[in-house]
Amino acid sequence: MSKTDVLIIGGGLIGCATALHLARAGASVRLVEAGDINAGASGQNAGSLHFQMERRFLENGAALADQAARIIALNRLAIDEWRGLEVDLGVDLHVSQKGGLMVAETPEQVALLEAKSRREISGGLATQLLDGDAARALCPALGPDVLAASYLADEGHADPRALTPAFAHAAAEAGAVISTRQHVLSITRRSPGGFDVAAKKGDEMETLQADQIFVAAGAWTPAVCALANLHIPLFPVALLMNATERTGPILPQLIQHVGRRLSMKQAYAGNVIIGGGWPSRLAQRPDGGFDLNARASIIPLSRSGNLRAAIDIVPQIGALNLIRSWTGVTTISADQLPIAGAVSRVPGFYVAAGGSAFTLGPTFARLIARVMGGERVEALDVLSPDRFNHLNSFMG
Amino acid sequence: MRIEQDVTRGAAIEISVDGIALAAFDGETIATAMLSQGMAMFRRDARGRPRGLFCNMGTCGECMVTLTAENRRVRACVTDAQNGMDIATDG
Amino acid sequence: MAEHFDLAIVGGGPAGQAAAIALQGLDLSIAVIDEQAQPGGQILRQPPAQFAVRLWLPGRAYDRLKAQTEHFGRLDRVSWLGRHTVIEIARDGAHFALLTENALGVRAITADRVLIAAGCQDLAVPLAGWTLPGVYTAGAIQAFVKSQQYVPGERIVLAGTHPLQLLIAAQIVAAGGTVAEVLFAQPISAMFRAVLTKPLVGLRGSGNMLAAAAALRILRRAGVPVSFGSALQRIEGESRVTHVILASGRRIACDTVGLNYGFVPQSLLPRMMGAKVRPAGAAGGFAAVHDEWMRSSLPGLYVAGETTGVAGAPASQAEGELAGVGIGLDAGWIDMAEAGRQTRRARSRHRHLQAFARLLDTVANPLPWFPVPEDDTIICRCEDVDYATLAAQSGGGSANAVKLITRCGMGPCQGRNCEPSLLRMLDDRGLTSDPGFTQRFPARPIPVSELADPG
Ligand SMILES: Cc1cc2nc3c(=O)[nH]c(=O)nc-3n(C[C@H](O)[C@H](O)[C@H](O)COP(=O)(O)OP(=O)(O)OC[C@H]3O[C@@H](n4cnc5c(N)ncnc54)[C@H](O)[C@@H]3O)c2cc1C
Ligand SMILES: Cc1cc2nc3c(=O)[nH]c(=O)nc-3n(C[C@H](O)[C@H](O)[C@H](O)COP(=O)(O)OP(=O)(O)OC[C@H]3O[C@@H](n4cnc5c(N)ncnc54)[C@H](O)[C@@H]3O)c2cc1C
Ligand code: FES
Repeated sequence: MSKTDVLIIGGGLIGCATALHLARAGASVRLVEAGDINAGASGQNAGSLHFQMERRFLENGAALADQAARIIALNRLAIDEWRGLEVDLGVDLHVSQKGGLMVAETPEQVALLEAKSRREISGGLATQLLDGDAARALCPALGPDVLAASYLADEGHADPRALTPAFAHAAAEAGAVISTRQHVLSITRRSPGGFDVAAKKGDEMETLQADQIFVAAGAWTPAVCALANLHIPLFPVALLMNATERTGPILPQLIQHVGRRLSMKQAYAGNVIIGGGWPSRLAQRPDGGFDLNARASIIPLSRSGNLRAAIDIVPQIGALNLIRSWTGVTTISADQLPIAGAVSRVPGFYVAAGGSAFTLGPTFARLIARVMGGERVEALDVLSPDRFNHLNSFMG
Repeated sequence: MRIEQDVTRGAAIEISVDGIALAAFDGETIATAMLSQGMAMFRRDARGRPRGLFCNMGTCGECMVTLTAENRRVRACVTDAQNGMDIATDG
Repeated sequence: MAEHFDLAIVGGGPAGQAAAIALQGLDLSIAVIDEQAQPGGQILRQPPAQFAVRLWLPGRAYDRLKAQTEHFGRLDRVSWLGRHTVIEIARDGAHFALLTENALGVRAITADRVLIAAGCQDLAVPLAGWTLPGVYTAGAIQAFVKSQQYVPGERIVLAGTHPLQLLIAAQIVAAGGTVAEVLFAQPISAMFRAVLTKPLVGLRGSGNMLAAAAALRILRRAGVPVSFGSALQRIEGESRVTHVILASGRRIACDTVGLNYGFVPQSLLPRMMGAKVRPAGAAGGFAAVHDEWMRSSLPGLYVAGETTGVAGAPASQAEGELAGVGIGLDAGWIDMAEAGRQTRRARSRHRHLQAFARLLDTVANPLPWFPVPEDDTIICRCEDVDYATLAAQSGGGSANAVKLITRCGMGPCQGRNCEPSLLRMLDDRGLTSDPGFTQRFPARPIPVSELADPG
């Protein structure tokens, strides 16, 4: 039987990074991962560091302006976080913050860019609006259809394959105990406080006792929370990614699109990584529901649409060979905002998942660790799981 | 070495690889045309070491070359040489 | 609009052809799709249509396959799609959607049923210097000789553990080329011992034995040394191979090396589709799993030939026949009694051939004889990942996890070359029965523009 201050469920970016911060703060930490470290969304994502407002937030109208402003505040924290990460972890994460361009191809899209950057500037993000030629001067690979772009110098990309293992390694050095291929199967509340958790590795069951539980199980978060009799409204989504063969340097910046689904960057090895939120099809269980453990399948129309968008913006991509398309599963909450913080109806129970948690994950982790240490962290208020408390009012 | 005895090849053609004109025959792959003129290097790897083709059956991807007219990268071992083709290696 | 066929067969080798022939006379549209220009598969590797070759591939074993290829060429309602590479097969409602690719572009095909008979490929065996220009798989050299009528080197060394290298050496010599030496890593006693434990099985495979003996005679006459217990240790040269060094320290000058440690199934397509596979044996790789009618674990998808395990061309033919009849049976074109009658002989041939294949596996077993890579020996050729990098990580979990950390298997070949090496390293650390790399689209590299919406 293991007894620790904290039990973290999930060995993705959020779980491993939080393990590091808690261990550094002196807590005894156990982390349990069902597969291998970084086997979930954290190892399969696009690696974009995007701090400009996401298109999906612009679609929600002025009512959400306040929310957006708070997200911008989080983004500003994330920018600083990323600037210090390689030094902090002592690992080459292939972080490149050479700027990001969000492009527009139509006058309507240009107007959207303008509205967006006004909001960002008032929130303290130094977005610059560029016309097509100015954008091409920065990034000559951009094609003639680019009418305008908003530029943010802090954006860029990093290596998703390196980040989470680096956090895991540092967490272990700081004293966290990490076990892989161990599934959490049940969560029992103890009175007066704390939890008993049953976890299975191979044929062996282990009971893990902890004062606090932190669920960082990505798309599996609702299932893990259900073990504690909690509804958390997160929904799995499967996304498509594509990689070309390696080529010489053509894209220094992160490229995104304000009106179409597109994110594009050249990874350190020279491959161009193309994504942007095109759907894949989740596998289904025979008894209904989605099977998150089976591979999601590619939707040909997503693939052709994504690649079309890439070629329209950077025409020379067309001549490169595609060497890989893959699908990854992440999760989105009922109101699109990430969920991160304490579940106040179950003292000692914390959760974080959803959203663009490659960009924001290291920041979430730092803040969550402070919350778990007893601090009040205002920046996280907007993400509190308690906003969905009503869902649990009949759960007993 | 092209086997001559008992073999009749297709029409004589010419292709160009990295600006060098190569005599070849209709029916030959780009790989055969290149090797037969002693062009065994297709690229340099990340450490600068010379690299050649390997499987000659399309599975390894070591023989990628660029057809410059189409700006298309193909596997030389499963792509037939065509008269007038202009080819660039990554060497 | 995609062209539609009742059946799409991937691979026009002995297995794919046999399946098409088994269905002849039925009113079916069949597409046979092959990356190679001409039918015949890896064993024949027919010369291009533009060539005329007298005395092409002499020998009894080949005659039967050549006859089958001729028969195949006469089938009507079979569309031969040579020089078409299948890069994806996906379920699309009631049928399968296939994408093929070649220098002219992509082509979409749909089919009610699909048979994957994609054959095998050489096992890639890393050793110091194996990435130098002039080092090929032995199969690569043989294919140059057979198909392109071209001998790729002035002085060729063949090395490995597989008896096929005797045949390849003899073919090079017959073509007028020079083989410096044929090197078997294992001592001859190890090979004989294997045969002697199963004399009857050995006798049944005597066609192959005779072929090997004939090859040995040709080599002896040509003065080509064949050495046993002679393991390759390094391959050296600057811009190309100039010599090899054996474990004994002996040095052999050469400009070309062919590596021949065995073969692994080409099972990428079934794996991409999620069909069940099993470890294929000592050489590594995964073989597609099937039932008695060559049905894979996925409805409507069939597998035959060396995609299901490497057992030689006659076994591939037998499996192709079973698959063809099985497909006819499932589609209601052939009834059970007829299907049973038609396949009785193929089944019994198949059983004997499997026994011989297992014997050959023992004779050729490379496991004890693999060269030892050096720290900077490249294991993953596409991404230049070396042995030391993998050794530092291979304690850490699955092949997929190591791939994520090191990039091993992330290049254009999808890990086809490095996967067996990495799995052996994991195995050595007690991480057995790893399912290997997740296989992803596309099966072969393809220009982005070919896949994009027309715009
Ligand atoms: C294709 C794709 C592209 C993306 N691109 C970007 C991008 O460019 N920028 C960006 O900011 N974000 C991006 N994201 C989102 C980002 O990847 C995720 O938000 C982030 O990785 C989430 O990390 P996580 O630790 O919460 O989850 P995960 O990495 O999914 O980790 C959860 C872990 O929990 C484990 N687990 C589940 N159940 C159990 C159990 N019962 N017991 C123990 N362990 C369990 C799982 O095995 C898994 O390893 C993308 C996501 C995808 C899929
Ligand atoms: C290089 C090589 C040389 C060989 N030489 C000999 C020999 O000399 N003697 C011997 O007894 N055995 C030899 N073998 C073993 C031999 O391949 C088999 O015994 C026999 O050819 C197997 O028949 P098959 O029909 O199963 O597969 P194959 O004959 O290999 O036929 C499979 C066909 O599928 C095609 N294919 C595969 N993937 C795709 C795709 N994605 N898209 C389109 N087409 C595809 C291939 O081009 C190939 O033509 C060799 C194997 C290899 C790999
Ligand atoms: S040499 Fe392997 S793909 Fe051409």
